[in-house]
Amino acid sequence: MRARNFTGCLFTLPRIISFLLFWLFPLLYSLLLGFTDYRLMRPSFQWVGFDNFIALLSDRAFLISLKNTFIFVLGTIPVTTVTALFLALLIEKKFPGRTIFRSGYFMPSITAMVVIALVFANLYSRGGYIYLLAEMLGLAPPENGFLLDNRTALISIMAMDVWMSVGYYMLIFLAGLKSIPRELYEAAEVAGAGAWCKFRSITLPLLKPVALFIIVINTIKSFQVFVEVFVMTKGKYDTSTAVYFIYESGLNRFEFGYASAAAYILFLIIAIFSLVQFRLFRRRAIW
Amino acid sequence: MKNVICFTVTALAAVLLSCSSGDRRSGVVTLDWWQFWTDPSVKPTIEQIVADFEAQNPGINISITDLTWANGHEKIVMAFASGTAPDIVELGSDWIPELSSAGKLADLTGDAAGDSADFSAWTPGTYDNQIYAFPWILGTRVLYINTVLMTRAGYDEDFVPFNWPQLKELCYKIDSLGKDMYGFGANAAEKHRLYKKFLPFLWSNGGSIMSRDGSFSTIASDKSYAALKFYKELCDSTGMVDTQRRLEDAFLEGKVGVIISGDWLLKRIRNEQHDIPFITALIPGPKFPGKSFVGGEYLAVSRQSKYKSAAIKFIRFLTSRDNQLLFCKANYTATPSSKTAAKDPFFAKDPQLQTFVKQLNLSKMPKVDQHWVYIEDVLETTLENVLYQGAPVAESLYEAKLEIEKIVSGQ
Amino acid sequence: MVRAGRYLLLVFILAVMVFPLLWMFRVSLLPAAGTLSFTDFISSGYTVATYYDIFTSGNMLRYFINSAVVGAAVTAGNILFCFMVGYAFSRYRFIGKNFWFFSIIFVLMIPAHIIIIPLYLLVHHLGLYDTYGALILPFLVNPIGIFLVKQYIDTLPTAVEEAARMDGAGELRILFRVVMPLCRPALAVLAIQVFLTNWNSFLFPFILTSSESVRTLPVGLALYQGHQAIDWPHLMAGSSLAVIPVLVIFLFFQRHIVSGITAGAIKQ
Repeated sequence: MRARNFTGCLFTLPRIISFLLFWLFPLLYSLLLGFTDYRLMRPSFQWVGFDNFIALLSDRAFLISLKNTFIFVLGTIPVTTVTALFLALLIEKKFPGRTIFRSGYFMPSITAMVVIALVFANLYSRGGYIYLLAEMLGLAPPENGFLLDNRTALISIMAMDVWMSVGYYMLIFLAGLKSIPRELYEAAEVAGAGAWCKFRSITLPLLKPVALFIIVINTIKSFQVFVEVFVMTKGKYDTSTAVYFIYESGLNRFEFGYASAAAYILFLIIAIFSLVQFRLFRRRAIW
Repeated sequence: MKNVICFTVTALAAVLLSCSSGDRRSGVVTLDWWQFWTDPSVKPTIEQIVADFEAQNPGINISITDLTWANGHEKIVMAFASGTAPDIVELGSDWIPELSSAGKLADLTGDAAGDSADFSAWTPGTYDNQIYAFPWILGTRVLYINTVLMTRAGYDEDFVPFNWPQLKELCYKIDSLGKDMYGFGANAAEKHRLYKKFLPFLWSNGGSIMSRDGSFSTIASDKSYAALKFYKELCDSTGMVDTQRRLEDAFLEGKVGVIISGDWLLKRIRNEQHDIPFITALIPGPKFPGKSFVGGEYLAVSRQSKYKSAAIKFIRFLTSRDNQLLFCKANYTATPSSKTAAKDPFFAKDPQLQTFVKQLNLSKMPKVDQHWVYIEDVLETTLENVLYQGAPVAESLYEAKLEIEKIVSGQ
Repeated sequence: MVRAGRYLLLVFILAVMVFPLLWMFRVSLLPAAGTLSFTDFISSGYTVATYYDIFTSGNMLRYFINSAVVGAAVTAGNILFCFMVGYAFSRYRFIGKNFWFFSIIFVLMIPAHIIIIPLYLLVHHLGLYDTYGALILPFLVNPIGIFLVKQYIDTLPTAVEEAARMDGAGELRILFRVVMPLCRPALAVLAIQVFLTNWNSFLFPFILTSSESVRTLPVGLALYQGHQAIDWPHLMAGSSLAVIPVLVIFLFFQRHIVSGITAGAIKQ
């Protein structure tokens, strides 16, 4: 057993080295700055304790950005996860043309986010194809386009995000489906189980670790939504998100201590969310 | 699997090999220059000017790094904040104070003394009466009018609106030409863009943001009230509300009659060969032509640069009359910072460019200091609320005044 | 009837997924820049001149190669390292395991904008600034990859490994000969994901390099976005071309996802 522990440590060495060399310093550096009034370009700064954190909790811009981030996370993750699973199930079985569909569904994930955001900014604008489609369906789109209206801007970005990420999560679900032994299904069929029953009692439970991965990763990524907002609205029309706020205050207004504190508040929120997710999935799935 | 590992090893070896490359010849000074002109129509001119400089100064090499507009500011900030800044950097006029006030830029006051008379717009490069950046290429905004729509609306072809009532009437008449026709291009709540469109109206009406000594805000005055009221009415009743980029598209497609834009649109019309009939005109004021907004590109030297005198030499070369002209001709830019360059027949021959040259003499910059990022934010929020969220004009301006004064007094 | 309905659904979803990309491709074929007029989308002409231009003017080809080299190196490194680390987290017990595991995920939770300045400093001090090293070394062990592999190995039965161990196989042998083949679907997903992220990564390459000799494709493409105007045809043509290598990688690796575990492997 001892030898195996040693091997375990050895195997994790690449990560440990990479972490210590490249990531520990940046993490600690930013954490410490969160407790100072450091501004970029100013050499002197002071330890201010929790002042930044207290100030942030009454900073309206920050709270609004948190609100939008929560809307984004809670709005996209269920939709993305369920759609991705649905797509995976839809194309899991062999049928003619499967590769085309699979590749097609994955295509949105391939393209760079900045480009996608620019493309959608056009599709969403007055006279763009999504705008025209909405008009055709009699949905009365906002006069100046979807992104230039408080009511629709954030939700439009969310829709784009779902469109963009389902293909990738579909792929992970596919890989997960492949790890389920065929024999289980065969046995269930022998016992006379229907499709829904098989899905409930075999597929879903055995997909748990993979589903946990998808949800945790997607949560972490979605809480940090930035590029879309940066490219499409620059935080206007009620679309400012937490990382956009951090970017603005840190790199535009140079309040780096303040921005670091905001980043660690966000970190705390994400960590709590993730731990809850781990807990919920704990039964037999995780370490 | 073996293949994968072999590949890793090869790739890592390639990395290590590439790390050790470097071609610093002895006795030759290499200056790093970060700049933003990456457009294929301008980059060759930049490279040519650099080659000319290197030919004239055999001891100096210039190494150009291209920055992107979307993220260049971040890269500059990071380099200066971490003490790894390049020798020479191109800066937008509103980025200079953050660096000059922090002591990151070399003091060029002595070196600028000889040139100062020939350049316009020293102010953004100045901090505490010292000069930290040379003005290079300026940019101002004028009125673009679609003449076909104008004549269809019943005007003569050579009509030019030069005051507010005329502008308003023109926009109204064009707006009523059809259902999908708009009079005036109104900027949506676009960061760093919206306020630049309103300030000309404010200034033209004699309004201002700050008092002369900067101790209190004058944004809540009768003059700014009237200006915002006028601008809002123009947007509400005849405005196509969209981003600057799409407004320009709409203008080129003949869907909007009047927009405010810079000389980049002239260049675009020329490069893309649009056959749109249009004229440019000075920004109208309440009674007579008013003031426009001007910004610009500046050149500065990092305080840490080891080759300050060589860097200054290069900046003076770039901003010399001849090279500014060369650049303006290649880039179809109307507003060099050199006053003698602006007198060149190149600008006088072209009526559109001429409008810009004239407008430059009738234009202003907001006073940019360390408070400016915050003031800009207040200004933009106020405009958004008034123009697009239906907030009352007078109350919003008064709130803006209080906010700005809070910022200035350091709360 | 059911089958026809199913195909109809598949095709409908396909249309939704692909349309914006077709739009991107269509814009790349527009002759010269111009306004993005939507109404005469079909009639406004086609040209491949932009593609020709991309390869002949400027250094786009060089950026392409840089991106490919960096992408391949990072992907290969990740397959190897993430697999090892992920396996250790799934199967072994060792001191500080939970700490290290969370340290992995925690790194993901801090926005890049906050850690990029210290990382930039670090890269400078290590002498890696403006080299391939800056683009490769920090990214060789991707936290998401470790997490993915760990979660996947968690779903695999331990029976096969135990059997091999009984037969006296060493740990390395078990790792590479027994477990790795079983992990093919996950490693394929990993490869696709890592290559993809790296291929499209903009912020880090932009900040950590300067010269054209190490510039990657997304940074090169970003230069088409001017201050006041976007060169749409060039940007879209470049982006369409950028899709191809990822698509190739995807098509290459997806077989492993779908073929999954060879039928007999797991029975034993």
